[in-house]
Amino acid sequence: MTDLSSQLLLYIGTAAGLFGIGLYGFIVGPQTLRRILALNIIGAGIFMLMVVLAYRGLAEEAALTLTDPVLHALILTGLVVAVSATAFALALLTRLNQAKSAQCKPDQLRHGQEPEQ
Amino acid sequence: MSPFWQQYLPLSIILSSLLPGLIIFTLKETQVKLRISLNLFGVGVKLLLVLLMWQAVKAGQQFYFSLPFLPGADLVLQGDALSLLFVVLSSVLWLATTIYAIGYLEQSPLRSRFFGYFSLCVSATVGLALAGNLVTFLLFYELLTLATFPLVVHRGTPESLAAGRRYLAYTLSGGVILMLGVALLHSLVQSPLFTPGGYVAAAVSGNEGLLMLAFALMIMVLGVKAALLPLHGWLPQAMVAPAPVSALLHAVAVVKAGAFGIIRLVYDVFGVESMQALQLAQPLMLLAAATILYGSWRALAQQDIKRRLAYSTISQVSYITLGVAMLGPLAAVGGLVHLVHQGVMKITLFFCAGNFAETLGIHKIRELNGVGRRMPVTAMAFTLGALGMIGIPPTAGFISKWYLGLGAAEVGQNWLILVFALSGLLNAAYFLPVVYRMWFLPQSGRWPAEQRLSNRFETHWMLLLPAIFTAILLLLMGLFASTELSPLSWSQLIVEREFRHD
Amino acid sequence: MMVVLLVLPLLGTLFMLLWPKIAPLLALLTASVCSLAALQLLFLVSEQGNQQVLLAGWPSGLAISLEANSLSSLLILLTALLQLLVGLYAFATHRRDKLGAGFWPLSCMLQLGLTALWLSRDLFNLYVCLELLGIVAVALVSLSGDKAIKPALNYLLLSLFGSLCYLLGVAILYGAYGVLDITVLAARWQADLPSSIALLLMTLGLMLKAALWPLHGWLPAAHAAAPAPVSALLSALVVKGPLFILCLLWLQLAGATQVAAVAPWFAGCGLAALLLGGVSALRTPFAKNMVAYSTVAQLGYAMLALGLLLRFNQPLFAAALWLFVLAHALAKAACFLAIGEITATLGGKRINTLKGASQTMPLAMFAFAVAGGSLIGLPPSGGFLAKWALLQGLWLQGGQLFWLLAIVLATLLSAAYVFRAVVLAFDRADPVAPDFAPRILPQWLALLPALAVWAMALYSEPLLQLLKQEGL
Repeated sequence: MTDLSSQLLLYIGTAAGLFGIGLYGFIVGPQTLRRILALNIIGAGIFMLMVVLAYRGLAEEAALTLTDPVLHALILTGLVVAVSATAFALALLTRLNQAKSAQCKPDQLRHGQEPEQ
Repeated sequence: MSPFWQQYLPLSIILSSLLPGLIIFTLKETQVKLRISLNLFGVGVKLLLVLLMWQAVKAGQQFYFSLPFLPGADLVLQGDALSLLFVVLSSVLWLATTIYAIGYLEQSPLRSRFFGYFSLCVSATVGLALAGNLVTFLLFYELLTLATFPLVVHRGTPESLAAGRRYLAYTLSGGVILMLGVALLHSLVQSPLFTPGGYVAAAVSGNEGLLMLAFALMIMVLGVKAALLPLHGWLPQAMVAPAPVSALLHAVAVVKAGAFGIIRLVYDVFGVESMQALQLAQPLMLLAAATILYGSWRALAQQDIKRRLAYSTISQVSYITLGVAMLGPLAAVGGLVHLVHQGVMKITLFFCAGNFAETLGIHKIRELNGVGRRMPVTAMAFTLGALGMIGIPPTAGFISKWYLGLGAAEVGQNWLILVFALSGLLNAAYFLPVVYRMWFLPQSGRWPAEQRLSNRFETHWMLLLPAIFTAILLLLMGLFASTELSPLSWSQLIVEREFRHD
Repeated sequence: MMVVLLVLPLLGTLFMLLWPKIAPLLALLTASVCSLAALQLLFLVSEQGNQQVLLAGWPSGLAISLEANSLSSLLILLTALLQLLVGLYAFATHRRDKLGAGFWPLSCMLQLGLTALWLSRDLFNLYVCLELLGIVAVALVSLSGDKAIKPALNYLLLSLFGSLCYLLGVAILYGAYGVLDITVLAARWQADLPSSIALLLMTLGLMLKAALWPLHGWLPAAHAAAPAPVSALLSALVVKGPLFILCLLWLQLAGATQVAAVAPWFAGCGLAALLLGGVSALRTPFAKNMVAYSTVAQLGYAMLALGLLLRFNQPLFAAALWLFVLAHALAKAACFLAIGEITATLGGKRINTLKGASQTMPLAMFAFAVAGGSLIGLPPSGGFLAKWALLQGLWLQGGQLFWLLAIVLATLLSAAYVFRAVVLAFDRADPVAPDFAPRILPQWLALLPALAVWAMALYSEPLLQLLKQEGL
């Protein structure tokens, strides 16, 4: 029992660590891509926490094979949401970069003599 | 008269100007005839309805119309004697002002917008007069602010926009504070109908502080519109508006709405007893007396005709407040009757000032020299109005001042008679030189900007007629003050009903 | 009925993607049918009390449950009607404004997300709705082209971060209690440390998503960059979703000590939003930014009302809270449509574009002024009702002079920024081209919600009663 809970604590600690790293990256990160990745790390931390919590009742019931299916369903849903959100963010980022380069090009053409201004 | 009519009469009085106003907004600039006929149609219907109501109220009937609104405070329109006083005043003067505005604004742009808001403004004023409780009053009070703002800025010049901003700053802040005060009073005693003798008496013990706060808040706000002393700043500046608007602001709508609100608040919300119990009358009296003297004093120094008239308004409207604050029946009669008399006199003066400005381009007092020979009728009307303001018999102004003086003696505030005398002297000091210049000094040089607006009369007949009309009215009101039709006897009726309960 | 309200937009979206040519038609059709259904739901709820549906026949606890009380059915009705209106506006102007074809399915999804949100009473379902709402909203913002991508991306990142905070809170709560349904959770609630942490995390996330001060930084840029119909939807509806969840959490779940600890903060944040948002609205040189900052400020009222409700437990504050939400939704939709129409017609983004608008585009300007009247709280508008309820509550509570003065100040600020625009509109107009002919229909569409918010006053008594009882 103590074994198990220390193991759980380890997992929870890892999850919290992931969340912390992600949070740091999100707040500090100057680049948008880094912030998107940081969000994914935060998400990973949360999902890990949820996976751990799915074993929550084990200590009392001592039935090792039983886990909480609701949380698993939630994690799946959450993963889907996270993936699509990330994809959307990346798509927007690409468009932003395209728009930037499209803006730069005519500028460069105009100032052909002095590139890399 | 059927009960159906009784219920809907107050509403239809408001609608008779509101609906034409709304239609006028949609008209094109070129549809002049349609617009004018709509306007006059609205005026006619309104006067007719008001007449109906006047007869019924005189016979002792009550009108009552309500819509559910807030819990404990429906939207109520009711016609009692006091509201009718104001309704009659504003409807009759609206007739004069409409005709005047049609003549004044001939050829100027954006007339549909102007007349639309003009009608809205009168609707809001009449609604304010007919409001049956404080929440309804608050509603029309705000609407009045909103409807007059476009009129003040109508010219669209930088000065008028600045004046409009100032006007909004004063009145909207006032509106918010009024809302605060009404909400406070509502939380204490709900918002029942205005009742002669007030309705707060039952709650006085234990809530003195809050009631005094509510009174102070509301007086402060009504004082903005009634241009009481520290809150009068917007009024002289709003003079940049076209003359009919000034007439409307000073005589019919805004300033009068403030004064009317004070009357309502003192007599029908707080009531004489609670006012005395809370000792609220004395500060109000002092404030009003100070404003009377201050306004007259400032008017002396003004060289612009309209500005002098504006400061004169500040002074004269406080007579009403003072009459109300004295809490005696005779003084109340004086205050109420001055509400009407001051309106008629001041509108006459503004019509004349507008005529001078439109016909001869005169804006300054020194330019008035010898104008009596060029525009005798207008000058005559102006003279009558000025004499009335000073309070010389047999004009209407004399009646109100007489009653105010009697009232002061009645309640034992003899120092107020001194105030009246002093103010009367000041009035004479700033009006009589004007009259003297008009009639007895020779014309000095050419008129600043003369226009021939008419071949037969001294100016456009639509500008002349309203001035003559109101000048005659103010004379009649003075001469026939003792008859049944006069505002004086109506005020006595109101006061009788107000004071009967005790 | 509730299922219909959810399935219809979903099907609508699907068909729109299949037949993009008739997408506008489908969108309008969906919105109008949903409005009718919502109306029927409202009647049903008012007659038979709260309605509950368990989807797909699963037992309670496992199934996705939907619950409609009168507040949520009112909000659903509002959503559907505003969708219809904004859809009509977008249809009338989509050629001129070059609105992308993506608008129609996305706005339909938005409706789905919002309706589901109003109906959910389950922490995780609420998360899914929130996420759907966020993503769709960002996609809508990005419709207006390259300039909007940057604010849209920023919005997306912050919104995702907010959702993740919320999700973490949900996970902690599930770990502690093993249930997600709010009513069941409320019964087992203990005000201990994990639940406090979870509540704080969720509150943080929701405040970020609802743009409540001090986490509002993203809103003005995003709302101002979006096309006019989208800004109208975002300001009117989308920010209210997270606010709704926030109210659910604090009013139904939180324990007394937690509530007592947080109430002054909420009220304080609300006040700060009112004052600082108002000042920003007064100072910004851009017309749409002004309206967007006004959203930040007006959300402060809701926050203030929530804080006061939590502190004093006075039902009048609940009424004030939801009246603010309803009135602001209508008024802000009108403001954005009107300003959008004026700036699109007269050309220009600065607030100076409004110069003389009372002559060139009187209807749209009138719509703005009327809606602004409700934002200020002039009687007899919906905004006035809300403010009246707030003031009544404060006076009845007694001794709350500070809050009263603060509300007066906030009202004056809102009057200042509304009339800043109105005074400009009364300036003499610059001469316009002889073929200048503003379109009438979009202006009327902008006027409609503005009139509706004033008409709210006619139903004030039932509304006040209903919202006072409901209060969540």
